[in-house]
Order: sequence, then C-alpha cells, then structure tokens
Amino acid sequence: MSNNQLILTDVTKRFGGLTAVDALSFNVESGQIYGIIGPNGAGKTTVFNCITGIYKSEEGSINWRGEEIRGMTPYQIVDRGIVRTFQTIRLFSQMSVAENIMSGRHIRSSQKLWHGVFHTSASKRDELENWHKVEEQLDFFNLGEFAATPVGSLPYGIQRRVEMARAMAVDPTLLILDEPAAGLNDKETLGLLETIFRIRDKEVTVLLIEHDMDMVMEVTDYLTVINFGKKIAEGTPAEIQKDPAVIEAYLGSEDDDDE
Amino acid sequence: MKELQKFGYPIFFAVMAVLPHLLDDRWQAVAITFLIFAVVALSQDIILGKCGMFNMGQALFFGMGAYTTAILNNEFGWSIIATIPLAILIPAIIGALLAGPIVHLRGDYLLVVTIGFNIVFVQVLQNNLGGVTGGPNGIFGLDSLSFLGFDLTSQVAVYYFAFIVLLLTLWLMRNLANSKTGRAMHYLREDQLAAESIGINTRIYKIFAFSIGAGIAGLAGTVFATQYSAVSPEAFEFIQSVLFFSIVLIGGSSFPGVLLGVFVMFVLPEIFREFATWRYLIFGFAMIAAMILRPRGIVPATFGKIPKFLIKGGSHVE
Ligand SMILES: Nc1ncnc2c1ncn2[C@@H]1O[C@H](COP(=O)(O)OP(=O)(O)OP(=O)(O)O)[C@@H](O)[C@H]1O
Ligand SMILES: [Mg+2]
Repeated sequence: MSNNQLILTDVTKRFGGLTAVDALSFNVESGQIYGIIGPNGAGKTTVFNCITGIYKSEEGSINWRGEEIRGMTPYQIVDRGIVRTFQTIRLFSQMSVAENIMSGRHIRSSQKLWHGVFHTSASKRDELENWHKVEEQLDFFNLGEFAATPVGSLPYGIQRRVEMARAMAVDPTLLILDEPAAGLNDKETLGLLETIFRIRDKEVTVLLIEHDMDMVMEVTDYLTVINFGKKIAEGTPAEIQKDPAVIEAYLGSEDDDDE
Repeated sequence: MKELQKFGYPIFFAVMAVLPHLLDDRWQAVAITFLIFAVVALSQDIILGKCGMFNMGQALFFGMGAYTTAILNNEFGWSIIATIPLAILIPAIIGALLAGPIVHLRGDYLLVVTIGFNIVFVQVLQNNLGGVTGGPNGIFGLDSLSFLGFDLTSQVAVYYFAFIVLLLTLWLMRNLANSKTGRAMHYLREDQLAAESIGINTRIYKIFAFSIGAGIAGLAGTVFATQYSAVSPEAFEFIQSVLFFSIVLIGGSSFPGVLLGVFVMFVLPEIFREFATWRYLIFGFAMIAAMILRPRGIVPATFGKIPKFLIKGGSHVE
C-alpha cells in the first residue's frame, strides 16, 4: 500500500446541476507518466482540482499512499508530496524567478514562524541550504540567467518552465501538470518532453493533462480518456489510438475545439 | 534603487542621529511625531503592503499600546520602560484574536470589519470601560522616561527613544524580508491560490502578519504616550487609520515610500502652516493620482533579496 499509488474511486464533482466529474476511477502507479485526455470541458482540470484539494469532490475516494486525501486542504496535500502546475500559469508575477522557485521550498524549510522576526544560526543555515536547492532547480530547468528577473516580464514558454521548477523544488513524489504544452511552440514542446523524461528519471511520478495528441502518445505510459466527466477508455497509447469510442468522442471533435 | 540604498540610508541614519541637536523644541516635537508615525506606517505596511490585507484599523493597535502604557503607569505605577513588553504583547495577542475570524474575508469586507473594530475601540475608550481609560479626556500626567535610575525628562531623550524604536522596526522588517515567513506573506499577496497550492497555509501567515503589525504599532503607542505624557481617544480615531492606510498605498510598500508618505502627511503641514488645512485635499488628490499613475505606490515594493551566488550575468534587472 505504501508504494506511491494514487487511487481514485468513483470521484464525483458537481457544480450546481452540472456533473463535471462523474464517478471517475483510475489508478496511477508509482513511476508512471500517466495521461488524462478528453475534449474541452470534459472535466480534466476539475479532477486535478479535486486531487489537489482546491475542490472537494462530493462523492468518492481519493487515496494516496494508503491515505484518504479527499477533503484535505491544498497545503496538506502538498505536504504529502503531490504538487501541481496550472493550465493558466499562476506565478508570483512581480517576484523574481529565484523567489518563485523558493516558494516550493516553503514546506521543506525548517524555519518557524518566529524566525521571521529573529534569525538564528539554524534559520540562517536553513535559508542558505534552500537557496542552494533553488540553484539546483535553476540549473535543472536551465533558468540560471533569469534568476533575478521578475517572472511576469518573461516570455510564456519560460514562465511555464519556472512553474515546473517551482513545483519540482518541493521534491514531490507525484507531479501533476495541467496542459504543460499549452501555448508552447514545437521547439519548446520538444524541450518539455525531454524535461518530463528527466523528471521521471528522478523517480517522480507524473500525471498530466494534455491536448496535444502527438505529445500524449509519445510521452505517456498509460492514459485515461474522459468525456463529460466520465471515463470512456483507458489503456496504453497504442490501445487508445485504436479505441473506437475515443476516436468518436475525442479525435472526432478535434477540429472544433482548437484553442 | 541600489545607489539610494548604498548612500541614502547611511546619510539618512546619520542625519536622524544628530537631528535633535539641530532643532529647537517645536521642531524636535515634529521630528518625534515623524518617527512615531513612521513606525506605525511601517507596521501597517506589514499587513497591507506585504500581505495585501486591507486593514483600515491600525490606529486601534497604536492606541492599545499607548493606553497599555498609560494605564500601567498611571494606575499601577510601572515605569514607562517597564510597560513596553505588555504594550507590545497585548496588541499582538488581540491582533491575532481579531484577525483569526476575519482574514479569510475579501479585501473590501475586511476593510469594513476593521473600520468597525476601530470605531468600537474608540467608543470603549470614550465610555471609560472598566473605569481605567479616563473617558473622553483620556489619561494625563504620565511619568517621563527613566532608565536604570536616570531620569530622562528632556525631549531629546524621547527623540532617541523613538529613533531606537524605528531602528528596531527596520531591523525586524529586514529579518522578515529574508525569511520563510516574510516570503510566504509576499506569495499569498501575489496569488493566494498559487501559494496554497505550493504548500503555504496562508491563514497562519495572515494572522501572524496582523499580530506583529499590531505589536509594532503598540510599541509606537508607548512612545506616543511618552511624548505627550498623556493619551486620549481622538488620537486613535478611524481617520488616523485612513491616513496610515493611504500612506502605505501611496508611498508604496517600501521603506523610502512609507517615509515619504509620513513626511508629506505629517511634516509638510508643519513646515507650511497654511498647508495644514489643505492637506487632506492635497492628499486626496495624491491618492487619486498615485492610484492611476503608480498603482503600486511611488516607491514600489522590491521584495526579498536573492543571494548573490544565484545572479549569473544574463538579463538581471534591478
Ligand atoms: N468553478 C466552476 N464552477 C462551475 N462550473 C465549473 C467550474 N469549473 C469548471 N466548471 C465546469 O466543469 C466542466 C469541466 O471543466 P474543466 O475545466 O474541468 O474542463 P477541462 O477538461 O479541463 O477542459 P479544458 O480542456 O478546456 O481545460 C466545464 O463544463 C466547466 O464549465
Ligand atoms: Mg482544463
């Protein structure tokens, strides 16, 4: 049970009369790159919001490493090693890249509240150690030259990288990416693929939503396809490509949901 | 900005350190007021500037510190210095208790609630609750400063008391800026959902900000009570809170910004007496202009510093 498994069982989330996620179940195994795909408005982001504690699902169970995390707050869930990025980038835009990444060190830092008032030698050491961790992420994501730049002034593609670096600074066990390739050009998308593989090499499980079919097929080990909040198929990329229900619901409608 | 920090600050502190010896009585009093209100405005900056919480009741905590000192001195005969710990702690604790139920409120609601707190506080003082606040007249005839057996009756002594309190406040704010706690405040101000999603329990940090903001304002209150040897309710009216609020908003969440705001608001009116009656009008226009032209204040926040070893050429801006 304690191997890093995420198990969703019959998760249901309603907004008024709309059932955005409808009795959805799936398992993410340790070490996988797991994909969630589906047409616009299928409920993908809502599932992520339920897992990460932004919404509480009305029904069902979300089990992480043998523990029920449904109903926990976002920071409690981060504390358990699950970190996410957003479909629409949410960075601390007036702050520098390094400070943004440093936010990921928040829960790993040993500083107490009152260290904000009085520093001690232990708090200073902790501060320095965490900045060095930030440096590791700056190197890993090749962001060193932007360390002091306010993040809001950077191009979109770089902001996406900063957001991932911030999440990785937490040292997560499960990294959740909501459409990481959205808005990236081909070259940047290739870079992203390579980054995702490097993240997996660090033994981080990756759960991602993606619109770009080619990318999903290339990067994921296993995927679940949802439509109108319900699962319509699951399997390996090769299996999904052949699934008639998927072709009908997702690929068939690809033309009219260009973002 | 860098230049200003390098040369501006030492010059500023040097001038402030010798200032009382260059001034006559009246101007010494103005300088003390400047220092005290600078401390209160900086305490407001922690809540409003760093955390982005629309607190319109900072005069409450300022007054609470002043009254704590006055009551302990007047009723119980404590020396002024001996009242300091409680003048910090009581507002800090009350600040945390008041903040607890309200910090989740959206900006405009928080604003109204804190105005309410401030009004209730002044009413309590005026109605002489518990018979210790002295009602509308307040409490007067406080002892002057004494420390280790020395009587420090002169105004110059009060000035240095105020100056030390300002230095202490600045030291504390610098510590805050270079800590996990201080950064958490910036993060939640910039994007609360993102902050929570990266693991920050924003509620704790908001309450803490209120608490230290209140504690610092309380300490400023002690100095205020010392300067006038008296306290009275009208000094802590809600309109004072409006001033502290606007100073941070217009000046910007930075030391130079806040000082500039305090200077314009409290010192200029003394220099140009005829300006005094106009100051609210001018300040009102300044608010409008600043919000349109410089929505982040005249000298905006620069946020925490990052260590030098992370800055490797490239496009680094300051
Ligand atoms: N906070 C909300 N309140 C009401 N309805 C919502 C809310 N969030 C999402 N929805 C609705 O739930 C449904 C699923 O939305 P969701 O954002 O999860 O879709 P998605 O699969 O991520 O789509 P996209 O590919 O466009 O990102 C949509 O119909 C959306 O309008
Ligand atoms: Mg979405």
